Amino acid sequence: MPEARGPSGMTRQAARERKKPKLDMAPMIDIVFLLLIFFMVSTSFAPMPGIRVQLPPPGKPNPNKPKGLIVRIANPEPGQLEGTMILDDEIVGLNEMFTQFIHAKEEIKNMLIIQSERDVLHEQIIHIMDIAKQAGIDKIGFAVVARE
Amino acid sequence: MAMQFKRTKHKGREQSLMMEPMIDCVFLLLIFFMVSAVMRTPPPFTVTLPESATRHEFPRKKFNLFISTDGRVSFDDLEMMTLDHMELFLSAHENQITTLIIKADRRAKHGVVIDVMERAKRRFSRIEGQEIALAVAEN
Repeated sequence: MPEARGPSGMTRQAARERKKPKLDMAPMIDIVFLLLIFFMVSTSFAPMPGIRVQLPPPGKPNPNKPKGLIVRIANPEPGQLEGTMILDDEIVGLNEMFTQFIHAKEEIKNMLIIQSERDVLHEQIIHIMDIAKQAGIDKIGFAVVARE
Repeated sequence: MAMQFKRTKHKGREQSLMMEPMIDCVFLLLIFFMVSAVMRTPPPFTVTLPESATRHEFPRKKFNLFISTDGRVSFDDLEMMTLDHMELFLSAHENQITTLIIKADRRAKHGVVIDVMERAKRRFSRIEGQEIALAVAEN
């Protein structure tokens, strides 16, 4: 069968092949891959671990003295990382604290009040909160001085 | 055989890889990662988080509060000169924050952490569902 020829004298297929626009994809793909790898590496999906702090409802603080275990922490001595902790008029260490919490009286066991001096390190407070949560005490309060 | 027939048929033509589906997939992934990426904005000081066995999990978001060992406070990479500045900044962005994550250094002083929490509480307790979390180290 004779091929149908266009005005330029080419076969139709040859004309179509020549007209086909050629996009150079390789550099674009390079860049897209680069961006993809950058975003993949820089994104972290792991959630941030933390301790939830429940805020008391708005309004004036409860004037009644809350019932609970009271831990008093003194400022650490110079050069030391931990301040002295007092629970029920007794000095306790972090190691004994868990058993103290477990064996505390039932009626005060639901809450822990941390009375701490200002220069106590944050790590120590987190540690006590951690122990309290492990001992099953859900409510933890921080004692502050009321300011007008 | 059919296979051989196919092969001979293709031999004459230019071999081409099917790029389009791959590019589609790569673009899709790229857009997904771009949208879900939360850029880390490190504070102007280093913060080592304390360790804890009990922990809750919170999604990573913008607007984290950092407290340094020497009591400096920063919102992401923006250092707050005073606690009043911090409170102002917090009130300006309070609609964008659901969980305020306080990342205090393990050697930060408890007094500063309490001050910051108190200021945040003053701003936060108005809107329902907002909470504060003290960040602990990942392991």
